[in-house]
Amino acid sequence: MHYFKKMLGNTQSPPGVAMSEVLWSWLGSFLGIALVALVHYKLLDRTGLVMIIGSFGASAVLVYGAIRSPLAQPRNLIGGHMLSAAIGVTAFQLIGGQPWLAAALAVSTAIAVMHLTRTLHPPGGATALIAVIGSDAVHKLGYLYILIPAGLGAVVMLIVALLVNNLAQNRRYPEFWW
Amino acid sequence: MNASNLRECAPVEISDSDVMAAMKSMQGYIDITPADFREVYHLAYALAKERMMAAFKASDIMSTPVHAVRTDTDLITTATLLAEKGISGAPVTDDAGRVVGVISEKDFFRQMGASQGETFMAVVAHCLKNKGCAATPMKNRTAGDIMTAPAISASAEVTIGAISALLMEKNINRLPIVETDGHLVGIVTRSDLVNAFCMLG
Repeated sequence: MHYFKKMLGNTQSPPGVAMSEVLWSWLGSFLGIALVALVHYKLLDRTGLVMIIGSFGASAVLVYGAIRSPLAQPRNLIGGHMLSAAIGVTAFQLIGGQPWLAAALAVSTAIAVMHLTRTLHPPGGATALIAVIGSDAVHKLGYLYILIPAGLGAVVMLIVALLVNNLAQNRRYPEFWW
Repeated sequence: MNASNLRECAPVEISDSDVMAAMKSMQGYIDITPADFREVYHLAYALAKERMMAAFKASDIMSTPVHAVRTDTDLITTATLLAEKGISGAPVTDDAGRVVGVISEKDFFRQMGASQGETFMAVVAHCLKNKGCAATPMKNRTAGDIMTAPAISASAEVTIGAISALLMEKNINRLPIVETDGHLVGIVTRSDLVNAFCMLG
């Protein structure tokens, strides 16, 4: 019975945030994604490279909307994306013929590795998954996927986070670097 | 004192709404549930308490040298010593200087008719009920006759946490600190403990 009782939950959601926090989150994520998307559409369009991948939308939630979270810190943002990217590409190259298996292995292994390296960053799961289920353009990148888009995109978002999150008097980022 | 009187030094219980109010007063989205915060708080508090209780040992806080009497010291001398030094009790040692008991006000009270409670007011009540009372029966007796024995003592290495627990459990006010062979090296009283906890801030 204890097993089912645990499903009832035992506490409540943390409080909602002030309107100023909503606005700063909006501004940071607007600028962060805008910059990543500009690089993608204006600079890399004809090079075969990609910059924007879905997982950065998830990263934006953390690094602009929950900036005190351990999951949102630079170590996690950069480390989580790059490690997961490496695992995703490896999974595709080894067993891409069985996409369902490659996809499952990529995400689950990425989570395990992020845990072990203390770089847990939820969007890393998406980065690993996209390496398997992504477009041909993504597949063609091979291990370059780790640097562009995963590494570079994360760095661009980090720079915007440092600049925007520290503008407000009572906001600060990061909590720790490494 | 029975077990229910032994109050645990438990952390101040904080409620979910306390945590919610604190989170609200902080800027930004706090990525933790109130229950998780309380769990962290309790675990951290237990560790802090452990650290503080082990921060000082008996040797750090004990009073030394100790005013002690011997088993053959007569009670007039004993009472005079306690009065002069302004203390309410002292260890009792044998010929070889080993602690064999503790003599305190309580032991005198008991001799003066305070059969229950062993307090000064118990003596007063006894004297009023019995049309006066006298300390004279004690005149020719020695510390060894009326002391509380065996002595509850401890080594210099014992922590203030263990001393606090012992004083509470045995309902005593002072703890002679002895070497392994029973020789007296110091004494820790309740006021020494108060000072120690004061130093811990």
